[in-house]
Amino acid sequence: MSSATARRSARLGRWLVSGPPVLYLFVFFAVPTLIMVLASFRTPGEFGGLAPLVEDGKLDLNLESYARFFSEAIYAEIFLKSVWYALATTFFCLALAYPLAALIARSPKRYRDLLLLLVILPFWSNFLIRIYAWMIILGPNAALARTVNGILRWFGHEPVPLLFSSFAVLVCLVYVSLPFMVLPLYANLEKHDQALLDAAQDLGANAWQRFWRITFPLSLPGVFAGSALVFIPALGIFAIPDILGGPEDSLIGNVIKQQFLETRDWPFGSVLSIVLTVAALAIAGFAAWVARRNLGTPSSARKVSA
Amino acid sequence: MKKLLWLSAAFAVCALFAAPVFAKDEFHLYNWNNYIAPETVKRFEDFCKCTVVQTYYSSNEELLAKLAAGAKGYDMLVPTTNAVDALIKGKRLQPLDHSQLPNLKNIDPRYLNTPFDPGNKYSVPYAMSTTIIGYNDVKMKELGLPTDTWAVIFEPKYLEKVKGRITVLDDENELFAAALKYLGYSVNDVDEKHWKEAQALINKAKPYWAAFNASSYIKELTVGNIWLVHGYSNDIFQANLDAQAAKRPFHLVQGMPKEGAVLAVDNMVIPKDAPRPDLALKFMNFMLEGKNSSELTNLIGSGNPNLDAVKYIKPEILKNPAIFPTKEVAARLEQLKDLTVAQRRLRSRMWTEIKAGH
Amino acid sequence: MRSKRGITLWIAAGAGYAFLYVPLIIVIVYSFNNSRLNAEWVGFTLNWYDTLFHDQNMIFAAGNSLAIALTASFVSTVLGTAAGVAMYRYPTKLLSVLVLAPIAIPEILMGVSLLIFFVLLNFTLGLVSVALAHIAFCIGFVAIVVRARLAGMDESLTEAARDCGASPWQTFRYITLPLIMPGVIAGALMAFTLSIDDFVITFFTAGAGTVTLPLQIYSMIKIAVTPEVNAVSSLLMLLTLALIIIASRVSPTILRSQEGLS
Repeated sequence: MSSATARRSARLGRWLVSGPPVLYLFVFFAVPTLIMVLASFRTPGEFGGLAPLVEDGKLDLNLESYARFFSEAIYAEIFLKSVWYALATTFFCLALAYPLAALIARSPKRYRDLLLLLVILPFWSNFLIRIYAWMIILGPNAALARTVNGILRWFGHEPVPLLFSSFAVLVCLVYVSLPFMVLPLYANLEKHDQALLDAAQDLGANAWQRFWRITFPLSLPGVFAGSALVFIPALGIFAIPDILGGPEDSLIGNVIKQQFLETRDWPFGSVLSIVLTVAALAIAGFAAWVARRNLGTPSSARKVSA
Repeated sequence: MKKLLWLSAAFAVCALFAAPVFAKDEFHLYNWNNYIAPETVKRFEDFCKCTVVQTYYSSNEELLAKLAAGAKGYDMLVPTTNAVDALIKGKRLQPLDHSQLPNLKNIDPRYLNTPFDPGNKYSVPYAMSTTIIGYNDVKMKELGLPTDTWAVIFEPKYLEKVKGRITVLDDENELFAAALKYLGYSVNDVDEKHWKEAQALINKAKPYWAAFNASSYIKELTVGNIWLVHGYSNDIFQANLDAQAAKRPFHLVQGMPKEGAVLAVDNMVIPKDAPRPDLALKFMNFMLEGKNSSELTNLIGSGNPNLDAVKYIKPEILKNPAIFPTKEVAARLEQLKDLTVAQRRLRSRMWTEIKAGH
Repeated sequence: MRSKRGITLWIAAGAGYAFLYVPLIIVIVYSFNNSRLNAEWVGFTLNWYDTLFHDQNMIFAAGNSLAIALTASFVSTVLGTAAGVAMYRYPTKLLSVLVLAPIAIPEILMGVSLLIFFVLLNFTLGLVSVALAHIAFCIGFVAIVVRARLAGMDESLTEAARDCGASPWQTFRYITLPLIMPGVIAGALMAFTLSIDDFVITFFTAGAGTVTLPLQIYSMIKIAVTPEVNAVSSLLMLLTLALIIIASRVSPTILRSQEGLS
């Protein structure tokens, strides 16, 4: 193959690979979203929806909704609360998912598929009844609450409700996000070469050192992928606080939903959504940058252990 | 492997495009779930020789949002008062041809000619409910709490006894309405000062409430985890039926507060771009017949504005003042009006402050 | 030393599985609960399965959900894999934003915007509009997993293939694809899961006669989510599990991760 044809087919390859997804997302995501971005500069319709774009021959665009967001501190407060919840969710998901993914990755091939399927299987049942199952588990008369409150009572503490609380919200957030941490981690851990670990062991590294200096650094792309797929959606969640949150567990997702439904203030809902999206992307970008700078690439980790 | 992948993909795509192409007339009803008795639907299908295609929404707001974004294809909607108000003002409904609705005379005149739809040009009452107090009778007696006033939901001196065992509706309009009523104002009061008073009242009571909940509170009430709720009369009725079926040692009772409450009337309306308004009118007239209308009431304990239905409704439901309010009680009930943009924004901010912990 | 580490791993993973399965066991057990509510155990009954078999709407909804999920996960896996490879080989800011933003954007905004978009185009709402919407938000999930799988991959293999005269397509099909297959499968599983249980976006993009399982079930939220829902969920899980096991028996390579060329 001559270098010119090689270059041409490389460019063709590039278009064939990036083209279709970019095109699809442009048509079915970017364009609709731009409509709503435009909506953030418009006025809400008196009875719902949006006011006409052109009023009396003039273009009705304004920064009213943006001004409201930046002038009323409460929205930023709720947003920060949501970031906290999302961070906590990501952390606990990682802690729970890592052993799961590691176990599956290390299992003999015969069982790997089954073990992986077993992780995702519960999530093919409906979301609502899974949350209702948690309401049963966390209910005031169920075993868990009785045990916990029994222990607290022994220490002279007031009983705490497990249900309709931030605890319940966090537990369910972790629960619904878990497979989205397990699967990316597994996809990464699966390709780790056991020979590396064996070599390290032969050189005297103990289990903790083997994990922390070899496995974990190599698994970082999986950790980041899983964290992104847990953190980012968790920022916008509203159903879980609605169903089993306490009186003050409202998150930014609830506020956004409220703008589109009860308040029928689409421009403001769009503003909140745009801020949320930009912030989520910024946090993800920042985390990736920090990772690249401080932790180096997996290949350098490999060199160190060899 | 490739062959299998292509095969399954092809199958799935075919399944998608193989939309049933039936020649029969279709009547698209967009309704609340379980808001029409199955027998009634069957009888209507036989009567009109058409198929009833039901899709569901679970809140007025969802319905309004979907319509505002342009969804069409529905022949009939069943929105509640304030949503009907918004739809009429937003010019999304078509006027009704009263000559095709001879059964309209069955409706109690009390529920006709509302301020938002004089002459019933666009809407016809379907069913109703009140938003009241629901309680566990054994627990309330034990704790010595009153059950006929909003005070039991808002006053800390009562709330202390039910701390963590009471929920209120997660609906800014309903909760503000209850607070305003308790303070002696109308549910449609739009004075910002009064709203601030209501907000303060709510904030004082909030620490004692288990949750703001409009979806899962009823089952918690039924199993006895929650003892007192701010909820809809139909739901509490149903909860009691379930509690009795499970042989629980208590009854769930509806308490009508003496200060008054919100009356929610669901109406049948026809969207402007309905494909089959003729079928919709047929359905409307059909549902205005006493027998057909009564079936829903007997099923879920909903209020019924149809005078002709009275003779078909179970007596125990007829006697219930929360479902069929007496004249004195009815005088204290109010229907919610829709708010302007500025008012909605203000209330929304107050609601956000309440729910964020301010 | 080896066995000690093994035990800790087993216990930790076991805790994870327990966390996943205790609620699921409740879901399945409660499908036999003799009560309309999903709140407390009253007694054993098979009635709900009987109700389910006579409930045409629920079965139809389940079928629709399955069809949409299969289509959406297939297309989004193909497009997402392409996107993941592109993000690794030819990264651009535009691509990253286009892939990540649908994951970040609140569902309600996406649902409303897609509805407005479809209405503007006069596109009839129905199962197809729902599937198109699902694909849009699933692509990102697949792309991110595939990209993570590609990270740190040994380029020498692809270079060797190129030196041997393989075209880019051949290199992809015979070298890259088998190596990233676990990532692709993981992405496909996530896409399927997201699609089969989606409510908000489906609500807005569904047509006047379109019913999917989540739409059907969420509409019951104000009255009672009866054990019939538990029954349909249990059966759906069983059915999907069976389909996958059959598929993997028929073509053993579908799920097996390739060991690579070592």
